[in-house]
Amino acid sequence: MTSTETRHTVHRFDDELNEIAKLVDQMGTIAVQQLRRAVKALKKEDPARAHKVIRRDRKLNNLDIEVDEKVIQLIARRAPVAKDLRQIIAVAKVVTDLERTGDEARKIAALCVRFHESDHHVPSDNILRDIYSMSKYVSVMLEVAMQAFSSLDIEKAFSVLLMDEELEIRFDSILRHLSTYVMEDARNVGHFVDIVLGIRALERFGGHAKNIAGHVIFLATANDVRHLDADEIRQLLDLEEE
Amino acid sequence: MTSVSTVIDSENRDEIAPVSAGDRDGPQDGFKETVGDIYHPRPRLTCRNVDVCYDNGAAHAIRNVSLDIGEMEVLAMIGPSGCGKSTFLRCLNRMNDTIDGCEVTGSIRLDGEEIYSKDLDVVPLRARVGMVFQKPNPFPKSIYENVAYGPRIHGLAANKAELDEVVESSLKRAALWGEVCDRLHQPGTGLSGGQQQRLCIARAIAVSPEVILMDEPCSALDPIATAKVEELIDELRKRYTIVIVTHSMQQAARVSQRTAYFHLGNLVEMDETDRIFTDPQHQLTEDYITGRFG
Repeated sequence: MTSTETRHTVHRFDDELNEIAKLVDQMGTIAVQQLRRAVKALKKEDPARAHKVIRRDRKLNNLDIEVDEKVIQLIARRAPVAKDLRQIIAVAKVVTDLERTGDEARKIAALCVRFHESDHHVPSDNILRDIYSMSKYVSVMLEVAMQAFSSLDIEKAFSVLLMDEELEIRFDSILRHLSTYVMEDARNVGHFVDIVLGIRALERFGGHAKNIAGHVIFLATANDVRHLDADEIRQLLDLEEE
Repeated sequence: MTSVSTVIDSENRDEIAPVSAGDRDGPQDGFKETVGDIYHPRPRLTCRNVDVCYDNGAAHAIRNVSLDIGEMEVLAMIGPSGCGKSTFLRCLNRMNDTIDGCEVTGSIRLDGEEIYSKDLDVVPLRARVGMVFQKPNPFPKSIYENVAYGPRIHGLAANKAELDEVVESSLKRAALWGEVCDRLHQPGTGLSGGQQQRLCIARAIAVSPEVILMDEPCSALDPIATAKVEELIDELRKRYTIVIVTHSMQQAARVSQRTAYFHLGNLVEMDETDRIFTDPQHQLTEDYITGRFG
Protein backbone atom coordinates (compact mmCIF):
# COMPACT_ATOMS: atom_id res chain seq x y z
CA MET A 1 0.00 0.00 0.00
CA THR A 2 1.99 2.99 -1.22
CA SER A 3 1.45 6.32 0.42
CA THR A 4 -0.31 8.59 -2.04
CA GLU A 5 1.69 11.26 -3.86
CA THR A 6 -0.09 14.12 -2.13
CA ARG A 7 0.17 14.17 1.62
CA HIS A 8 -2.76 14.95 3.86
CA THR A 9 -2.79 18.46 5.29
CA VAL A 10 -2.77 16.69 8.67
CA HIS A 11 0.52 14.78 8.34
CA ARG A 12 -0.28 12.57 11.31
CA PHE A 13 -3.01 10.99 9.17
CA ASP A 14 -0.35 9.85 6.67
CA ASP A 15 1.84 8.58 9.49
CA GLU A 16 -1.04 6.50 10.86
CA LEU A 17 -1.81 5.04 7.43
CA ASN A 18 1.87 4.23 6.91
CA GLU A 19 2.11 2.55 10.31
CA ILE A 20 -0.83 0.32 9.38
CA ALA A 21 0.68 -0.40 5.94
CA LYS A 22 3.93 -1.56 7.57
CA LEU A 23 2.05 -3.95 9.86
CA VAL A 24 0.12 -5.40 6.91
CA ASP A 25 3.39 -5.93 4.98
CA GLN A 26 4.83 -7.63 8.02
CA MET A 27 1.80 -9.93 8.25
CA GLY A 28 2.14 -10.85 4.57
CA THR A 29 5.81 -11.75 5.02
CA ILE A 30 5.09 -13.85 8.10
CA ALA A 31 2.18 -15.66 6.40
CA VAL A 32 4.37 -16.76 3.47
CA GLN A 33 7.20 -17.75 5.83
CA GLN A 34 4.79 -19.78 7.96
CA LEU A 35 3.67 -21.86 5.01
CA ARG A 36 7.25 -22.41 3.76
CA ARG A 37 8.44 -23.37 7.23
CA ALA A 38 5.51 -25.76 7.74
CA VAL A 39 6.27 -27.52 4.45
CA LYS A 40 9.97 -27.65 5.34
CA ALA A 41 9.11 -29.31 8.64
CA LEU A 42 7.08 -31.86 6.69
CA LYS A 43 9.93 -32.48 4.26
CA LYS A 44 12.57 -32.75 6.98
CA GLU A 45 10.26 -34.90 9.11
CA ASP A 46 10.92 -32.46 11.94
CA PRO A 47 7.98 -32.09 14.39
CA ALA A 48 9.97 -29.64 16.56
CA ARG A 49 10.16 -27.28 13.60
CA ALA A 50 6.41 -27.78 13.05
CA HIS A 51 5.67 -26.91 16.69
CA LYS A 52 7.60 -23.68 16.19
CA VAL A 53 5.35 -22.82 13.22
CA ILE A 54 2.25 -23.53 15.30
CA ARG A 55 3.47 -21.29 18.12
CA ARG A 56 4.43 -18.52 15.72
CA ASP A 57 0.85 -18.38 14.39
CA ARG A 58 0.04 -16.44 17.53
CA LYS A 59 2.15 -13.60 16.17
CA LEU A 60 -0.14 -13.31 13.14
CA ASN A 61 -3.20 -13.40 15.40
CA ASN A 62 -1.78 -10.58 17.53
CA LEU A 63 -0.93 -8.48 14.49
CA ASP A 64 -4.46 -9.03 13.17
CA ILE A 65 -5.88 -7.62 16.41
CA GLU A 66 -3.37 -4.76 16.48
CA VAL A 67 -4.22 -3.67 12.92
CA ASP A 68 -7.96 -3.95 13.60
CA GLU A 69 -7.58 -1.70 16.64
CA LYS A 70 -5.66 0.86 14.60
CA VAL A 71 -8.29 0.73 11.86
CA ILE A 72 -11.09 1.38 14.37
CA GLN A 73 -9.15 4.27 15.91
CA LEU A 74 -8.42 5.77 12.51
CA ILE A 75 -12.07 5.58 11.43
CA ALA A 76 -13.18 7.15 14.72
CA ARG A 77 -10.59 9.93 14.69
CA ARG A 78 -10.12 10.75 11.02
CA ALA A 79 -13.50 9.89 9.44
CA PRO A 80 -11.80 8.81 6.19
CA VAL A 81 -13.61 9.22 2.87
CA ALA A 82 -13.05 8.33 -0.79
CA LYS A 83 -9.76 6.48 -1.38
CA ASP A 84 -8.75 6.79 2.28
CA LEU A 85 -11.98 5.04 3.23
CA ARG A 86 -11.50 2.30 0.64
CA GLN A 87 -7.91 1.88 1.80
CA ILE A 88 -8.86 1.40 5.42
CA ILE A 89 -11.72 -0.96 4.59
CA ALA A 90 -9.42 -2.95 2.29
CA VAL A 91 -6.77 -3.15 5.03
CA ALA A 92 -9.32 -4.51 7.52
CA LYS A 93 -10.31 -7.22 5.05
CA VAL A 94 -6.74 -8.03 3.96
CA VAL A 95 -5.57 -8.63 7.52
CA THR A 96 -8.49 -10.98 8.13
CA ASP A 97 -7.44 -12.99 5.07
CA LEU A 98 -3.78 -12.93 6.14
CA GLU A 99 -4.67 -14.19 9.59
CA ARG A 100 -6.57 -17.04 7.98
CA THR A 101 -3.66 -17.96 5.70
CA GLY A 102 -1.71 -18.35 8.94
CA ASP A 103 -4.36 -20.79 10.18
CA GLU A 104 -4.00 -22.83 6.98
CA ALA A 105 -0.18 -22.90 7.34
CA ARG A 106 -0.66 -24.10 10.92
CA LYS A 107 -2.77 -26.99 9.63
CA ILE A 108 0.13 -28.11 7.42
CA ALA A 109 2.47 -27.91 10.42
CA ALA A 110 -0.05 -29.93 12.43
CA LEU A 111 0.05 -32.62 9.74
CA CYS A 112 3.80 -32.98 10.31
CA VAL A 113 3.27 -33.33 14.05
CA ARG A 114 0.55 -35.95 13.45
CA PHE A 115 2.70 -37.99 11.09
CA HIS A 116 5.85 -37.93 13.18
CA GLU A 117 4.68 -37.83 16.79
CA SER A 118 2.22 -40.69 16.67
CA ASP A 119 2.33 -44.36 15.90
CA HIS A 120 1.13 -43.52 12.44
CA HIS A 121 2.87 -45.03 9.52
CA VAL A 122 4.75 -42.09 7.92
CA PRO A 123 3.52 -41.31 4.40
CA SER A 124 5.95 -41.60 1.56
CA ASP A 125 7.38 -38.57 -0.22
CA ASN A 126 5.45 -39.75 -3.24
CA ILE A 127 2.08 -39.12 -1.59
CA LEU A 128 3.29 -35.80 -0.13
CA ARG A 129 4.60 -34.37 -3.36
CA ASP A 130 1.23 -32.79 -4.23
CA ILE A 131 1.37 -30.86 -0.96
CA TYR A 132 4.88 -29.66 -1.83
CA SER A 133 3.97 -28.50 -5.32
CA MET A 134 0.70 -26.90 -4.30
CA SER A 135 2.28 -25.05 -1.37
CA LYS A 136 4.86 -23.54 -3.71
CA TYR A 137 2.08 -22.36 -6.00
CA VAL A 138 -0.09 -20.79 -3.29
CA SER A 139 2.83 -19.08 -1.54
CA VAL A 140 3.69 -17.39 -4.86
CA MET A 141 0.02 -16.38 -5.14
CA LEU A 142 0.17 -14.68 -1.76
CA GLU A 143 3.49 -13.00 -2.53
CA VAL A 144 2.13 -11.57 -5.78
CA ALA A 145 -1.11 -10.48 -4.07
CA MET A 146 0.90 -8.64 -1.40
CA GLN A 147 3.10 -7.02 -4.05
CA ALA A 148 -0.07 -5.89 -5.82
CA PHE A 149 -1.34 -4.50 -2.52
CA SER A 150 1.89 -2.59 -1.87
CA SER A 151 2.02 -1.03 -5.33
CA LEU A 152 -1.74 -0.92 -6.04
CA ASP A 153 -0.99 -2.83 -9.23
CA ILE A 154 -4.32 -3.94 -10.74
CA GLU A 155 -2.72 -6.15 -13.40
CA LYS A 156 -0.73 -8.00 -10.77
CA ALA A 157 -3.87 -8.39 -8.68
CA PHE A 158 -5.73 -9.70 -11.70
CA SER A 159 -2.93 -12.23 -12.35
CA VAL A 160 -3.62 -13.66 -8.87
CA LEU A 161 -7.28 -14.11 -9.80
CA LEU A 162 -6.16 -16.05 -12.88
CA MET A 163 -3.78 -18.12 -10.75
CA ASP A 164 -6.72 -19.00 -8.52
CA GLU A 165 -8.63 -20.39 -11.50
CA GLU A 166 -5.58 -22.57 -12.27
CA LEU A 167 -5.39 -23.54 -8.59
CA GLU A 168 -8.95 -24.87 -8.67
CA ILE A 169 -8.07 -27.02 -11.69
CA ARG A 170 -4.96 -28.33 -9.90
CA PHE A 171 -6.99 -29.03 -6.76
CA ASP A 172 -9.49 -31.19 -8.67
CA SER A 173 -6.69 -32.95 -10.50
CA ILE A 174 -4.80 -33.70 -7.25
CA LEU A 175 -7.96 -35.14 -5.67
CA ARG A 176 -8.37 -37.46 -8.67
CA HIS A 177 -4.72 -38.45 -8.47
CA LEU A 178 -4.95 -39.20 -4.74
CA SER A 179 -8.06 -41.34 -5.26
CA THR A 180 -6.18 -43.40 -7.83
CA TYR A 181 -3.29 -43.76 -5.43
CA VAL A 182 -5.56 -45.10 -2.71
CA MET A 183 -7.20 -47.51 -5.10
CA GLU A 184 -3.80 -48.84 -6.15
CA ASP A 185 -2.66 -49.53 -2.62
CA ALA A 186 -5.23 -49.82 0.19
CA ARG A 187 -2.50 -49.29 2.83
CA ASN A 188 -2.53 -45.60 1.86
CA VAL A 189 -6.13 -45.11 3.01
CA GLY A 190 -4.96 -43.98 6.47
CA HIS A 191 -3.08 -41.06 5.01
CA PHE A 192 -5.64 -40.21 2.38
CA VAL A 193 -7.85 -38.11 4.66
CA ASP A 194 -4.88 -36.26 6.18
CA ILE A 195 -3.43 -35.42 2.80
CA VAL A 196 -6.79 -34.31 1.42
CA LEU A 197 -7.24 -32.02 4.43
CA GLY A 198 -3.75 -30.64 3.79
CA ILE A 199 -4.51 -30.03 0.11
CA ARG A 200 -7.78 -28.42 1.12
CA ALA A 201 -5.91 -26.09 3.54
CA LEU A 202 -3.59 -25.07 0.71
CA GLU A 203 -6.51 -24.47 -1.62
CA ARG A 204 -7.98 -22.17 1.02
CA PHE A 205 -4.61 -20.47 1.46
CA GLY A 206 -4.73 -19.65 -2.27
CA GLY A 207 -8.35 -18.54 -1.88
CA HIS A 208 -7.30 -15.96 0.70
CA ALA A 209 -4.58 -14.69 -1.66
CA LYS A 210 -7.30 -14.33 -4.30
CA ASN A 211 -9.48 -12.39 -1.82
CA ILE A 212 -6.57 -10.04 -1.14
CA ALA A 213 -6.18 -9.45 -4.88
CA GLY A 214 -9.89 -8.59 -5.02
CA HIS A 215 -9.45 -6.09 -2.16
CA VAL A 216 -6.58 -4.46 -4.11
CA ILE A 217 -8.86 -4.01 -7.13
CA PHE A 218 -11.56 -2.52 -4.90
CA LEU A 219 -9.08 -0.16 -3.30
CA ALA A 220 -7.59 0.99 -6.59
CA THR A 221 -10.74 1.19 -8.72
CA ALA A 222 -13.73 1.23 -6.32
CA ASN A 223 -15.08 -1.86 -8.14
CA ASP A 224 -16.21 -4.82 -6.08
CA VAL A 225 -15.14 -7.84 -8.12
CA ARG A 226 -15.71 -10.56 -5.53
CA HIS A 227 -18.47 -12.34 -7.39
CA LEU A 228 -17.34 -11.77 -10.96
CA ASP A 229 -15.48 -14.19 -13.17
CA ALA A 230 -12.17 -13.35 -14.82
CA ASP A 231 -13.69 -12.30 -18.15
CA GLU A 232 -16.15 -9.96 -16.47
CA ILE A 233 -13.36 -8.42 -14.39
CA ARG A 234 -11.12 -8.04 -17.44
CA GLN A 235 -13.92 -6.22 -19.23
CA LEU A 236 -14.77 -4.07 -16.23
CA LEU A 237 -11.19 -2.98 -15.69
CA ASP A 238 -10.44 -2.74 -19.39
CA LEU A 239 -7.50 -5.12 -19.11
CA GLU A 240 -5.90 -6.68 -22.15
CA GLU A 241 -6.15 -10.42 -22.69
CA GLU A 242 -2.85 -12.19 -22.22
CA MET B 1 -29.99 27.77 -24.08
CA THR B 2 -27.35 25.18 -24.90
CA SER B 3 -27.05 22.44 -22.36
CA VAL B 4 -23.61 22.28 -20.86
CA SER B 5 -21.56 20.05 -18.67
CA THR B 6 -18.36 20.68 -16.85
CA VAL B 7 -15.26 19.29 -18.49
CA ILE B 8 -12.03 19.20 -16.63
CA ASP B 9 -8.45 19.37 -17.75
CA SER B 10 -6.98 16.38 -15.99
CA GLU B 11 -3.45 17.17 -17.09
CA ASN B 12 -3.31 20.49 -15.38
CA ARG B 13 -5.20 20.72 -12.13
CA ASP B 14 -4.80 24.47 -11.91
CA GLU B 15 -6.75 25.12 -15.04
CA ILE B 16 -10.37 24.18 -15.13
CA ALA B 17 -12.43 25.11 -18.09
CA PRO B 18 -16.16 24.50 -18.32
CA VAL B 19 -17.14 24.04 -21.94
CA SER B 20 -20.44 23.52 -23.67
CA ALA B 21 -21.66 20.08 -24.68
CA GLY B 22 -21.35 21.09 -28.30
CA ASP B 23 -17.65 21.69 -27.85
CA ARG B 24 -17.18 18.21 -26.51
CA ASP B 25 -17.62 16.49 -29.83
CA GLY B 26 -14.40 17.70 -31.42
CA PRO B 27 -10.91 16.88 -30.22
CA GLN B 28 -9.75 19.22 -27.49
CA ASP B 29 -6.25 19.62 -26.21
CA GLY B 30 -6.04 18.81 -22.54
CA PHE B 31 -9.76 18.13 -21.98
CA LYS B 32 -10.18 14.52 -21.10
CA GLU B 33 -12.77 14.03 -18.43
CA THR B 34 -16.42 14.83 -18.11
CA VAL B 35 -17.15 14.85 -14.46
CA GLY B 36 -20.41 14.08 -12.71
CA ASP B 37 -23.95 14.65 -13.81
CA ILE B 38 -25.36 18.15 -13.59
CA TYR B 39 -28.83 17.06 -14.68
CA HIS B 40 -31.80 15.99 -12.58
CA PRO B 41 -34.86 14.13 -13.88
CA ARG B 42 -37.24 16.58 -12.15
CA PRO B 43 -35.41 19.88 -11.96
CA ARG B 44 -36.86 22.69 -9.88
CA LEU B 45 -34.02 25.14 -10.42
CA THR B 46 -32.19 25.04 -13.74
CA CYS B 47 -28.96 27.02 -13.87
CA ARG B 48 -27.10 27.43 -17.14
CA ASN B 49 -23.83 29.21 -17.90
CA VAL B 50 -23.97 31.28 -14.74
CA ASP B 51 -21.16 33.80 -14.37
CA VAL B 52 -20.79 36.20 -11.46
CA CYS B 53 -18.39 39.11 -11.36
CA TYR B 54 -17.79 41.54 -8.51
CA ASP B 55 -16.34 45.04 -8.64
CA ASN B 56 -17.82 45.64 -12.07
CA GLY B 57 -15.99 42.71 -13.65
CA ALA B 58 -12.69 43.01 -11.79
CA ALA B 59 -13.23 39.78 -9.82
CA HIS B 60 -14.66 36.70 -11.54
CA ALA B 61 -16.35 34.73 -8.71
CA ILE B 62 -18.37 32.13 -10.65
CA ARG B 63 -17.32 30.80 -14.04
CA ASN B 64 -19.84 29.32 -16.42
CA VAL B 65 -21.60 27.09 -13.89
CA SER B 66 -24.47 24.91 -15.05
CA LEU B 67 -26.46 22.55 -12.88
CA ASP B 68 -29.95 21.36 -12.03
CA ILE B 69 -31.42 21.27 -8.54
CA GLY B 70 -34.19 18.71 -8.31
CA GLU B 71 -37.43 18.73 -6.39
CA MET B 72 -37.37 17.19 -2.95
CA GLU B 73 -33.62 16.86 -2.94
CA VAL B 74 -30.93 18.27 -0.74
CA LEU B 75 -27.99 19.54 -2.77
CA ALA B 76 -24.83 20.22 -0.79
CA MET B 77 -22.30 22.66 -2.16
CA ILE B 78 -18.79 22.20 -0.82
CA GLY B 79 -15.41 23.70 -1.55
CA PRO B 80 -12.62 25.72 0.02
CA SER B 81 -13.18 29.28 1.21
CA GLY B 82 -13.51 31.69 -1.68
CA CYS B 83 -14.49 28.99 -4.19
CA GLY B 84 -17.78 30.74 -4.95
CA LYS B 85 -20.28 28.36 -3.37
CA SER B 86 -21.96 31.03 -1.22
CA THR B 87 -21.92 33.45 -4.15
CA PHE B 88 -23.64 30.85 -6.27
CA LEU B 89 -26.18 30.12 -3.52
CA ARG B 90 -27.02 33.82 -3.30
CA CYS B 91 -27.66 33.90 -7.04
CA LEU B 92 -30.56 31.49 -6.56
CA ASN B 93 -32.81 34.10 -4.93
CA ARG B 94 -31.06 37.19 -6.29
CA MET B 95 -29.50 38.11 -2.98
CA ASN B 96 -26.48 39.30 -4.98
CA ASP B 97 -28.68 42.11 -6.32
CA THR B 98 -28.02 43.89 -3.03
CA ILE B 99 -24.25 44.04 -3.70
CA ASP B 100 -23.02 47.04 -5.67
CA GLY B 101 -20.91 46.13 -8.70
CA CYS B 102 -22.06 42.51 -8.73
CA GLU B 103 -23.05 41.25 -12.16
CA VAL B 104 -24.79 37.92 -12.75
CA THR B 105 -25.08 36.55 -16.30
CA GLY B 106 -26.45 33.28 -17.65
CA SER B 107 -29.78 31.76 -16.87
CA ILE B 108 -31.42 30.58 -13.65
CA ARG B 109 -34.96 29.27 -13.96
CA LEU B 110 -37.31 28.38 -11.12
CA ASP B 111 -39.94 25.94 -12.40
CA GLY B 112 -39.13 27.16 -15.89
CA GLU B 113 -39.43 30.87 -15.06
CA GLU B 114 -36.33 33.02 -15.54
CA ILE B 115 -35.59 34.61 -12.16
CA TYR B 116 -33.28 37.23 -13.66
CA SER B 117 -36.05 38.53 -15.91
CA LYS B 118 -36.38 42.31 -15.61
CA ASP B 119 -40.11 41.96 -14.96
CA LEU B 120 -39.67 39.67 -12.01
CA ASP B 121 -40.42 41.06 -8.56
CA VAL B 122 -37.73 39.84 -6.17
CA VAL B 123 -39.96 40.07 -3.06
CA PRO B 124 -42.23 37.13 -3.99
CA LEU B 125 -39.16 35.35 -5.45
CA ARG B 126 -37.46 35.46 -2.05
CA ALA B 127 -40.63 34.07 -0.49
CA ARG B 128 -40.51 31.18 -2.98
CA VAL B 129 -36.78 30.73 -2.46
CA GLY B 130 -36.20 31.27 1.25
CA MET B 131 -32.86 31.60 2.93
CA VAL B 132 -31.28 30.63 6.24
CA PHE B 133 -27.96 32.24 7.12
CA GLN B 134 -24.81 31.16 8.89
CA LYS B 135 -25.58 33.12 12.03
CA PRO B 136 -29.13 32.86 13.40
CA ASN B 137 -30.69 36.28 12.81
CA PRO B 138 -34.14 36.40 14.41
CA PHE B 139 -35.92 39.75 14.29
CA PRO B 140 -35.87 41.62 17.61
CA LYS B 141 -39.49 40.61 18.08
CA SER B 142 -41.39 37.84 19.81
CA ILE B 143 -41.12 34.22 18.68
CA TYR B 144 -44.66 34.49 17.32
CA GLU B 145 -43.97 37.69 15.40
CA ASN B 146 -40.78 36.29 13.88
CA VAL B 147 -42.81 33.57 12.19
CA ALA B 148 -45.94 35.65 11.56
CA TYR B 149 -44.07 38.52 9.88
CA GLY B 150 -43.63 36.90 6.45
CA PRO B 151 -47.18 35.50 6.06
CA ARG B 152 -48.57 38.83 7.16
CA ILE B 153 -46.67 40.97 4.62
CA HIS B 154 -47.27 38.46 1.84
CA GLY B 155 -50.97 38.31 2.72
CA LEU B 156 -50.95 34.57 3.30
CA ALA B 157 -53.37 34.65 6.23
CA ALA B 158 -56.86 36.16 6.09
CA ASN B 159 -57.34 36.56 9.84
CA LYS B 160 -55.74 36.01 13.21
CA ALA B 161 -56.91 32.41 13.46
CA GLU B 162 -55.28 31.55 10.13
CA LEU B 163 -52.09 33.34 11.14
CA ASP B 164 -52.01 31.40 14.42
CA GLU B 165 -52.34 28.22 12.42
CA VAL B 166 -49.48 29.16 10.08
CA VAL B 167 -47.25 30.04 13.05
CA GLU B 168 -48.05 26.79 14.81
CA SER B 169 -47.58 24.59 11.76
CA SER B 170 -44.34 26.34 10.78
CA LEU B 171 -42.90 25.95 14.27
CA LYS B 172 -44.00 22.32 14.31
CA ARG B 173 -42.32 21.65 10.93
CA ALA B 174 -39.19 23.34 12.25
CA ALA B 175 -39.31 20.95 15.23
CA LEU B 176 -39.47 23.91 17.63
CA TRP B 177 -43.14 24.01 18.70
CA GLY B 178 -42.73 21.72 21.69
CA GLU B 179 -39.94 23.90 23.08
CA VAL B 180 -41.63 27.30 22.62
CA CYS B 181 -45.41 26.78 22.59
CA ASP B 182 -45.78 28.14 26.11
CA ARG B 183 -43.65 31.27 25.50
CA LEU B 184 -44.60 32.42 22.02
CA HIS B 185 -44.66 36.06 23.04
CA GLN B 186 -41.21 36.11 24.53
CA PRO B 187 -38.34 37.58 22.43
CA GLY B 188 -36.90 35.28 19.75
CA THR B 189 -33.44 36.51 20.66
CA GLY B 190 -33.84 34.93 24.09
CA LEU B 191 -33.70 31.41 22.61
CA SER B 192 -30.52 29.31 22.45
CA GLY B 193 -28.44 29.40 19.24
CA GLY B 194 -29.86 26.14 17.93
CA GLN B 195 -33.42 27.22 18.76
CA GLN B 196 -32.84 30.59 17.08
CA GLN B 197 -31.64 28.84 13.92
CA ARG B 198 -34.73 26.61 13.91
CA LEU B 199 -36.83 29.75 14.46
CA CYS B 200 -35.20 31.22 11.33
CA ILE B 201 -36.05 28.02 9.46
CA ALA B 202 -39.66 28.28 10.74
CA ARG B 203 -39.70 31.90 9.55
CA ALA B 204 -38.48 30.80 6.12
CA ILE B 205 -41.04 28.00 5.74
CA ALA B 206 -43.95 30.13 7.06
CA VAL B 207 -44.26 31.78 3.63
CA SER B 208 -44.58 28.38 1.88
CA PRO B 209 -41.34 28.46 -0.10
CA GLU B 210 -40.48 25.96 -2.84
CA VAL B 211 -36.76 26.11 -2.22
CA ILE B 212 -34.79 26.75 0.96
CA LEU B 213 -31.21 27.99 0.71
CA MET B 214 -28.99 27.39 3.72
CA ASP B 215 -25.62 29.08 4.00
CA GLU B 216 -23.60 27.14 6.59
CA PRO B 217 -26.65 26.90 8.86
CA CYS B 218 -24.90 24.93 11.59
CA SER B 219 -21.50 26.59 11.75
CA ALA B 220 -22.44 28.52 14.88
CA LEU B 221 -24.22 25.62 16.58
CA ASP B 222 -23.12 22.92 19.01
CA PRO B 223 -23.28 19.23 17.95
CA ILE B 224 -26.70 18.61 19.52
CA ALA B 225 -28.28 21.70 17.90
CA THR B 226 -26.53 20.68 14.64
CA ALA B 227 -28.06 17.20 14.86
CA LYS B 228 -31.51 18.74 15.37
CA VAL B 229 -31.11 20.98 12.33
CA GLU B 230 -29.86 18.03 10.25
CA GLU B 231 -32.83 15.96 11.35
CA LEU B 232 -35.05 18.88 10.38
CA ILE B 233 -33.40 19.14 6.93
CA ASP B 234 -34.18 15.46 6.39
CA GLU B 235 -37.80 16.09 7.34
CA LEU B 236 -38.12 19.26 5.24
CA ARG B 237 -36.80 17.44 2.17
CA LYS B 238 -40.17 15.69 1.88
CA ARG B 239 -41.76 19.05 0.94
CA TYR B 240 -39.00 21.39 -0.17
CA THR B 241 -35.92 21.55 -2.35
CA ILE B 242 -32.96 22.42 -0.16
CA VAL B 243 -29.57 23.79 -1.18
CA ILE B 244 -27.00 23.84 1.60
CA VAL B 245 -23.53 25.34 1.63
CA THR B 246 -21.37 23.71 4.25
CA HIS B 247 -17.73 23.55 5.25
CA SER B 248 -18.39 20.27 7.03
CA MET B 249 -17.83 17.40 4.64
CA GLN B 250 -19.43 15.03 7.09
CA GLN B 251 -22.53 17.21 7.18
CA ALA B 252 -22.71 17.25 3.39
CA ALA B 253 -22.37 13.45 3.42
CA ARG B 254 -25.06 13.09 6.07
CA VAL B 255 -27.78 15.38 4.76
CA SER B 256 -27.55 15.58 0.97
CA GLN B 257 -28.52 13.36 -1.93
CA ARG B 258 -26.21 15.12 -4.36
CA THR B 259 -23.05 17.11 -3.80
CA ALA B 260 -21.38 19.77 -5.93
CA TYR B 261 -17.71 20.59 -5.48
CA PHE B 262 -16.61 24.12 -6.36
CA HIS B 263 -13.04 25.28 -6.87
CA LEU B 264 -11.90 28.78 -7.88
CA GLY B 265 -15.38 29.66 -9.10
CA ASN B 266 -15.75 26.51 -11.19
CA LEU B 267 -18.06 23.58 -10.68
CA VAL B 268 -15.50 20.77 -10.70
CA GLU B 269 -17.71 17.81 -9.98
CA MET B 270 -21.34 17.12 -9.15
CA ASP B 271 -22.68 13.69 -8.43
CA GLU B 272 -24.63 11.47 -6.08
CA THR B 273 -23.34 12.15 -2.56
CA ASP B 274 -22.69 8.43 -2.04
CA ARG B 275 -20.35 8.46 -4.99
CA ILE B 276 -18.61 11.75 -4.24
CA PHE B 277 -17.59 10.47 -0.80
CA THR B 278 -16.54 6.98 -1.85
CA ASP B 279 -15.30 7.32 -5.40
CA PRO B 280 -14.96 10.92 -6.59
CA GLN B 281 -14.05 11.17 -10.25
CA HIS B 282 -11.84 14.23 -10.12
CA GLN B 283 -8.51 14.51 -8.35
CA LEU B 284 -9.35 17.99 -7.02
CA THR B 285 -12.48 16.66 -5.36
CA GLU B 286 -10.58 13.69 -3.93
CA ASP B 287 -7.83 15.95 -2.58
CA TYR B 288 -10.33 18.30 -0.97
CA ILE B 289 -12.57 15.74 0.71
CA THR B 290 -9.66 13.61 1.93
CA GLY B 291 -7.89 16.62 3.43
CA ARG B 292 -5.01 16.80 0.98
CA PHE B 293 -5.93 20.22 -0.28
CA GLY B 294 -3.68 23.25 -0.16
